Amino acid sequence: MARMQPGVITYSGFLGKDIRDYGQIIADDEMVLEELGKSAEEIADRLEFFQQMSFDAFEASTMVEKIYDVNTEVVRGYLPCPFMHQGVYRKSYTTVTNTKSGKSFTYSALNIHLIRVHHFFEGKESHFRLEPRELVAELF
Amino acid sequence: MLSRIFQDIGLMSAIGVILALIMVLAQRWLSNYGEVTININKKRDLVVTGGNSLLSSLADKQIFIPSACGGRGTCGACKCKVLEGGGPILPTEKPQLSKEEMADNIRLSCQVKVKSDIAIQIPEEIFNIRRFHSVIEEIIDYTYDIKGVTFKLEEGQSIDFKAGQYVQLETKPYGKVKQKAIRAYSISSKPEFNNRIQLIIRLVPEGICTTWVHTALKVGDKVDFTGPYGDFYLRDNDADILFVAGGSGSAPIKSMLEHLREVGTSRKMTYFFGARTTKDLYLGDEMRDFEEYFDDFTYVPVLSHPTEEDNLQGKTGFLMPYFKEAIRDPKNTEAYLCGSPGMIAAVTKSLINDYGIAEGKIYYDSFG
Amino acid sequence: MEISAFVLFWAAIFTGNILLTYFLGMCSYLSISKEIESAFGLGIAVAFVLIVTSALNWLVYYYILFPFGIVYLQYIVFIIVIAAFVQFLELVIERYTPALYYSLGIFLPLITVNCAILGVGLFMIIRKYSFIQTLAFSAGSGIGWLLAILMLAGIRRKLKEKMVPAGLRGAGISLIITGIMALGFIGFSGIVQIQ
Repeated sequence: MARMQPGVITYSGFLGKDIRDYGQIIADDEMVLEELGKSAEEIADRLEFFQQMSFDAFEASTMVEKIYDVNTEVVRGYLPCPFMHQGVYRKSYTTVTNTKSGKSFTYSALNIHLIRVHHFFEGKESHFRLEPRELVAELF
Repeated sequence: MLSRIFQDIGLMSAIGVILALIMVLAQRWLSNYGEVTININKKRDLVVTGGNSLLSSLADKQIFIPSACGGRGTCGACKCKVLEGGGPILPTEKPQLSKEEMADNIRLSCQVKVKSDIAIQIPEEIFNIRRFHSVIEEIIDYTYDIKGVTFKLEEGQSIDFKAGQYVQLETKPYGKVKQKAIRAYSISSKPEFNNRIQLIIRLVPEGICTTWVHTALKVGDKVDFTGPYGDFYLRDNDADILFVAGGSGSAPIKSMLEHLREVGTSRKMTYFFGARTTKDLYLGDEMRDFEEYFDDFTYVPVLSHPTEEDNLQGKTGFLMPYFKEAIRDPKNTEAYLCGSPGMIAAVTKSLINDYGIAEGKIYYDSFG
Repeated sequence: MEISAFVLFWAAIFTGNILLTYFLGMCSYLSISKEIESAFGLGIAVAFVLIVTSALNWLVYYYILFPFGIVYLQYIVFIIVIAAFVQFLELVIERYTPALYYSLGIFLPLITVNCAILGVGLFMIIRKYSFIQTLAFSAGSGIGWLLAILMLAGIRRKLKEKMVPAGLRGAGISLIITGIMALGFIGFSGIVQIQ
């Protein structure tokens, strides 16, 4: 869709190198979620939890639950949601690292909304693509 | 046979032309609203061609209501009060307006179409906002992801701003970006330079404007921007000053310091700059110059993610404990904060609760 | 044709439903049936455009195309008339009811290419309907189309997409549902035939 293309809201857009349309991406990810037994809302809540912990620590680096290293960068401005509805999201970029496995995830406040409301994890190889399988394995 | 073909073609074309004519007339008659008057603040009357949004009609007359999304209805920055006219509230406005705002006749000026006479009320500061044409004069690499870019204004143009305000930059299409984007940046140079401004721009992952500045922009390129905007600026008095900034939040502080150097001051000033590691520190030389020049200015960089070496030398961790040394009389101290909402909230809370500084004396420019 | 306009109206909704019996107008039907509000909006817009353009096309056919002997150009001319009318409608709505424009406006271009509209226009010619019959037929077809899209939207809302096999989700299951609805509507065919 138009608002997901590179250069409209973000530099590379939301679809990465994916040839599927966004509806298909969402459907496929939903199947993976079903298999894993976790809902998109639960994942979004967990991502938001880390973001909140980071905000509570005023965006300095903070350890959550003894194994997660979380920090957040906030820059000026905000991003609209690519789906056709109003609402803007702060440009806050949170990075969560599971210190035991070394795996790291970076996501913005917009990503949390996209996952929670639209079940959209972004296209393959998009800058902020989050793999549901990895998220569930590492963050729970 | 041939004449039959021509006849039919002729008829077909006639039908097409008649329909096209009807459409053109309909367009003229239905979409033409003639000239309408916009009355501003009960003082000024502007005559514009009807049919366009309030935002663009005013912009055509060099009155710039702030807009971060370019009129798409997604940012809510273009709110203005409509005293008369403007039609009913549109579905595209409702998500950005609260109940109180709707009751008070606040509308999104990018969505309100000026179809008939309208009366609006806008803050006086807006009249000072202009559109500027500039040329890139210099690009400095401050750190691995921060550049300082100087924009020289076109001949005859000059900008009148207060240290601490920001401008809205317009990017041009480049690479895979086909449309222009509008992004806000604080001015980092002193107001005394009124024919050029410097902006400090940090590369943001996936940022349309910052990627443009860091990869496509060159000295000599032409760029447009509007401004100045914002109510974050230095107050003129004798109070001690606490500056607190993080990352690219140093821009307005730099502007304030340069301005103070220009006008001279003996105020006690301390500048706490929060960065992650030593790689993220910049303007160190400029700060040392300020320390030498001013009677009482101290620059305190504080690292939040120090590496092994950093820990040994500078201050690390949270900023707040270090304030103690900088505050000698809370009743005569002002604070200027620029950075993320989290940092500002934390620092404000600490200043009020731990150090006893009055809330009204804490000024901030929040990113989010 | 001897059928009364009144009968035609009801027949167009049930026994000869433009979508469920003739399978015309499927594209926008499939894509907009995800939500009931937009389905309703689109359905009303299609019905309105259908009635007016059918009437216009009837007049164009019998007073311009037929007398001048260019009836073979009906396909092109009808489409042009539909496109022009939709454009005109968009201008009128934008001027007089801007709120309506913002909620329905996005559907208008979709309607121009809705083959149900051209289809109804061609049917009225083939079946040699009079002007009154055309009005009744197009009104019925419009309401029939609205009914079909509302039914699909309602069913999709209740449908647990998770239970549907992966390959059939989205368009696949919608088409199967439409087919089942069409089968159901065949049950009405005993009432009256307008073929």
